[in-house]
Amino acid sequence: MMETLSIIFITTVKTLIYFGILMLHVAYATYAERKIIAHIQLRLGPMVVGYHGILQPIADVVKLIFKEDIVPSNVDRRIFIIAPLISLTAALSTFAVIPVSDSWVISDIHVGILYVLGIAGIGIYGIIFAGWSSNSKYAFLGGLRSAAQMISYEVALAMSLVGVILMAESFNLTEIVKKQAEYPLGMFLFPQIIGYFVFIVAMLAETNRLPFDLPEAETELVAGYFVEYSGIRFALFYLAEYLAMFCMSSLATICFWGGWTIPPFLIKALPILEAIPGIVWFLLKVYFHMFLFFWLRGTLPRYRYDQLMAIGWKVLIPLALLNIIVTSIFKYYS
Amino acid sequence: MKTETTRELLINMGPQHPATHGVLRLVLEVEGEVIKKCTPYVGYLHRGVEKLSEDLTYVQVLPLTDRLDYLSSMINNVGFCIAVEKLMGIEVPERAKFIRTMMSEMARICSHLIWIATHALDIGAMTVFLYAMRDREYILELFEMVTGARLTVSYPRIGGVRCDVNNEFLDKTYKFMDEFPKKVEEYETLIDRNRVWLKRTKGVGVITAEEAINWGLTGPTLRGSGVYYDVRKFFPYDAYDKVEFDVPVGKNGDIYDRYKCRMLEFRQSAKIIKQCIEKLPEGSILAENAPKIRMPASPLKIDKRDIKFEIYIEDKNIEEFITKFTDVYASVEAPRGELGFYIVCDDSAKPYRMRIRAPSFVHAGALPRLCEGSLIADVIANIGSIDIVLGECDR
Amino acid sequence: MTDLMRLKEIINKIFLVEIFKGLSLTLKMLFSKSVTIQYPFEKRKVYEGFRGRHALVKDPFTEADKCIGCMRCTTVCPSRCIYIKREKRENKMIVIDYIIDASRCIYCAYCVEACPVCALVLTEEYEYSSYKREELIFNKEKLLKNWDEFIKKWKQDYYFNKFWQPPGIDPSRWPKTKREQKPISIREFIENRKENKDESDN
Repeated sequence: MMETLSIIFITTVKTLIYFGILMLHVAYATYAERKIIAHIQLRLGPMVVGYHGILQPIADVVKLIFKEDIVPSNVDRRIFIIAPLISLTAALSTFAVIPVSDSWVISDIHVGILYVLGIAGIGIYGIIFAGWSSNSKYAFLGGLRSAAQMISYEVALAMSLVGVILMAESFNLTEIVKKQAEYPLGMFLFPQIIGYFVFIVAMLAETNRLPFDLPEAETELVAGYFVEYSGIRFALFYLAEYLAMFCMSSLATICFWGGWTIPPFLIKALPILEAIPGIVWFLLKVYFHMFLFFWLRGTLPRYRYDQLMAIGWKVLIPLALLNIIVTSIFKYYS
Repeated sequence: MKTETTRELLINMGPQHPATHGVLRLVLEVEGEVIKKCTPYVGYLHRGVEKLSEDLTYVQVLPLTDRLDYLSSMINNVGFCIAVEKLMGIEVPERAKFIRTMMSEMARICSHLIWIATHALDIGAMTVFLYAMRDREYILELFEMVTGARLTVSYPRIGGVRCDVNNEFLDKTYKFMDEFPKKVEEYETLIDRNRVWLKRTKGVGVITAEEAINWGLTGPTLRGSGVYYDVRKFFPYDAYDKVEFDVPVGKNGDIYDRYKCRMLEFRQSAKIIKQCIEKLPEGSILAENAPKIRMPASPLKIDKRDIKFEIYIEDKNIEEFITKFTDVYASVEAPRGELGFYIVCDDSAKPYRMRIRAPSFVHAGALPRLCEGSLIADVIANIGSIDIVLGECDR
Repeated sequence: MTDLMRLKEIINKIFLVEIFKGLSLTLKMLFSKSVTIQYPFEKRKVYEGFRGRHALVKDPFTEADKCIGCMRCTTVCPSRCIYIKREKRENKMIVIDYIIDASRCIYCAYCVEACPVCALVLTEEYEYSSYKREELIFNKEKLLKNWDEFIKKWKQDYYFNKFWQPPGIDPSRWPKTKREQKPISIREFIENRKENKDESDN
């Protein structure tokens, strides 16, 4: 009995810590995005609130919370209200199995990857519901696009991870990281380079980022599925989007970049690096992926809906299948 | 048996849509994402410039023409001035002609920069937007230096230009034009060879040469379809017959070719400006017989040319009309196409009727032809590629 | 040759060369200096002859406006935003009020150019937006105040508007008073006058 209670207690505490850190990360991810894209475009970005606008995300959150909560009269009220919550809950739940260092994980379950993929797939319901219930044509089209996009890219995303699973011989995310130490540079990145490429592209599509941000394509659908949302509900969608980005970045880090471990040659060159806790490496790798999101957004144009589908089904999935076959053959003979 | 009926979704795109370049309104009938019917509605920015001008003297109409195509106000001014000069028989001094040519090309670069900025933004490449704006800012500053305004310059004047350019301006302009092609390359690095850009533009919004002529398209939109037509070459005005330049012509008539035409025009414009500065002659900038800023009540002392109306009614009034009125048409190559001014005038200092042939209006008419059968995302790309300005379209 | 080109194209396509080129450009831009001018905190200097807020030139000696009420600006204005109230007293035209509706003005500076005595000017001030329409209707008093505010910022001793005598245009086109217009002195004369006054007081 005591044991169960203590497990519940520890898990609750861990969850709260995770939650706090995540919220801070999301807030400052918006800030980082604005700053990075601004500097790419030779602008300055937020500069007024605090030194170089460092308090801008806090000001934004306060503003969004205190904004009038508008529910348009013709919407399907219940679904309209529940939609952002679905997205947010799904996005938050994925972090339950993501290990940030050797021992730091809320729930170390054996089917970690499957869990993440499954829960990430639920998040899409929030978007579809939002698009449908808004009773607006732009939102409706955004929801439709989102549904089609998610379905096709989920397949590619899952398949790109199959290679990793084959090599690690486990679904457990901690196991996957540990297994990578046996490979060159301590990561799956090089043996699984095709898988990584497919994963990155599918990751962009899954999180609705440029060049695949069709569900919310600003110049086409104005804001897509959340065109009717404002205030705190709008913020929840943003929160979910950024959480999904963090989740995908973490997954990429864990599955391809060796998680919290350091490449062995670096340790050999600079033994001091070993003293740095694993979580720092983990976060650095995640930040790199987040930067990649922003960097690509600052560089690429947007695909068209049918082209997006064509890439998903005609390029990514065959590539992922090829990757699985090659990996299997290597695995079998080694 | 139960029959299933499907109904097209009616989407009202605009007038408050981020990508319809102002207040264009498109009513789209879509089936899924495929457009079945597209109807453009214009007129949300109608200010009645044509009617207003009937109540103003020719000199006073000039600042109104700034407000037509506000992205290249210089060229509107030049177009109007040329029409009135033709009407009054004013010979513009050589120096003024060169200055006008130079300024027109700067306005063209300015306008094309806005076009590449918004077109790329519509397709999703938002960084190009700010790079283009950065360079446009420099040209606007140059405008401000000479004309005293950045956007609505009112710089050309009937019979010449308003004030002379100084050496500082010429030096700065020459230097900027020297490095400008490099900046164009910068935009091209981001989009020109990019696979996403190519996919979005190649083979989309195709209009054949024959159709383009039938629709009355002009400017880069027409040249993208492979028709060699440019007012600057065919009916040279100002100093265009004294400078060397090429007219880039496309081949396939899709969005990419239109884009390519304009990108090449950037370089040609820079070339023309540099030539103008090199060849700029000394002398007066305003014709002797140019009207003063306060026009006399009846300035027109010219022979009436014959206007050939087909008269079906025997009416004395019409005969009187014919003897009383004269008309003139002059056109210039605006960044969007052929911008024409048709003025019917009597003896007074005010136009009896002025009609503006706005390329944007004609191009907006071709939108349904370009859009039908394509996807919603292509509508945005098409609007960007024909480069309409609603200020000019609605007048 | 064409085969080689094709091969190059295929390689470019597989290895996303053009995308990496774009990425390297944006990365380069990320670390280059931004061009933003943070407007309310720092302001760009406008060039001489910028067409901004209206003002009536104050004569440095009489401290009054120079308008003679000839109505030329009113007739030449395309948007018809200038109203002059004048009266004939003792064979002399007296301008009672001079009103410019800045919310209708299109800033073409025709009035400045048409004025035979160079009494009107479009100053280089451009920040005068207002919440009320009435504040944008400048009467004579306001226009003179605008001039005072403008010359306070003016660094040089003399002021001469470009559009009084547009450069490059034959001066014979203008009336005599306009042709002979001298730059308006700003500090020197005012100070001189003060000194003279002090001396005479003594």
